[in-house]
Amino acid sequence: MHKYLNTPIKEVIMKFPQVGKILEEYKIGCVPCTLGSCLLKDIVAIHNLSQAQETELIYRIEKTIYPQRDIKRPAFKQAAKKTAVKEIKYSPVIKRLIDEHALIKKWIGLIPEVIENVDIASDSGKKLILDGLDFIRFYADKFHHAKEEDILFGYTDKNLDIIKTMLADHETARGHVQAMIRALDKGDKKTVFAHLNAYKELLSEHIKREDEILYPWIDRSISTTQVGELFTKFNEAEEKLDKEVIEKCKKFVQEVEQRVQKIKTEKKEVTK
Amino acid sequence: MSDSGMGGCPGSRMQDFREDTKGGKVEGGVRQSQLKQWPIQLHLVSPEAPYYQKADVLLSADCVAFTVGDFHKDYLKGKSVAIACPKLDEGQEEYTEKVKSLIDDAKINTLTVMTMQVPCCAGLVAIAEEALHSAKRKIPIKSIVVSLQGDVLSEEWVS
Ligand SMILES: [Fe+2]
Ligand SMILES: [Fe+2]
Repeated sequence: MHKYLNTPIKEVIMKFPQVGKILEEYKIGCVPCTLGSCLLKDIVAIHNLSQAQETELIYRIEKTIYPQRDIKRPAFKQAAKKTAVKEIKYSPVIKRLIDEHALIKKWIGLIPEVIENVDIASDSGKKLILDGLDFIRFYADKFHHAKEEDILFGYTDKNLDIIKTMLADHETARGHVQAMIRALDKGDKKTVFAHLNAYKELLSEHIKREDEILYPWIDRSISTTQVGELFTKFNEAEEKLDKEVIEKCKKFVQEVEQRVQKIKTEKKEVTK
Repeated sequence: MSDSGMGGCPGSRMQDFREDTKGGKVEGGVRQSQLKQWPIQLHLVSPEAPYYQKADVLLSADCVAFTVGDFHKDYLKGKSVAIACPKLDEGQEEYTEKVKSLIDDAKINTLTVMTMQVPCCAGLVAIAEEALHSAKRKIPIKSIVVSLQGDVLSEEWVS
């Protein structure tokens, strides 16, 4: 078992697909991961499972890998896997990042409506897309991702696969933005929307992983002193940015919400 | 009159732990005190003291250190401290001002408030929150509540 605990999860799942299914039962979603290089033991440790859940999970995986072996069933309550994940109370630094995610999620949640309802050939449509890109560049990237990359991730091991994956996602997101700017210049609506949609898919999954796995894990591993340091560093980083631009980004999300609503109402009236 | 000690203020209700606490290992050796300053009483301390500058500060209710067996090792270590009783001490407004000065002038890194589970002790967390509210700087504040027998009942960030 020691060997498999130190094996990248993708290899384990390829060899034993049932392991992927077991992990999913514990809300550990490694199967769709594109990288899959995290070690099985790190995956078990990084998720906020109770001792009983962890023992049960390891037992079930071991049983799957070595069905012939006589493995002692640990004394765990049958209900272990059904109990909710421990309630998480975040430190103020992690809470701040999660609150920022909430705003980013709000914008990306509106993207399908934008794609469906906004004519980017029109001046106002083009402006909305440009404002949306500004939100992504300034709020999601310079305001939020920068705090993760320049500050928070420095408190982890940057060689960890989960950190590498998060950094790679940030880069991919930047690539989508560049591609959208180029396509928008050419009035290539199809490409703009394809990248906007890809950005939405990428960030939705990325944020989910940070909220559910990475952040809780980091929060459990940082000391009180480090929470204070991060808090100060976050404030210093934010002070260097133009407050007005950040405020404009926050307003943008409200405006686009109203805009989408208005377009939908107008459309309804036309079809009546 | 009740001789069971029940009823009345939970903070001063009589309770007898003699049976519960006579167990535990008797350990030998001498443990180092983790206190690195004097004075410690909140009225007496000065936010200008070098050991408060940019420090992680523990604001502890007076009774806490007597109840938590590993107070020095687990909570005092690495921190600068101030103690107060939010129930009996005079001049609580001065307490708020002093905590505010620790935040703004000593630019402390974090504040951990340790209190007993009795309701009146929550006043110390309120003092810390009020000080933070009126301070120019913002810092993380953690609240740790301990039971009368020294168990940690909750530990959470309040700001
Ligand atoms: Fe991220
Ligand atoms: Fe993030």
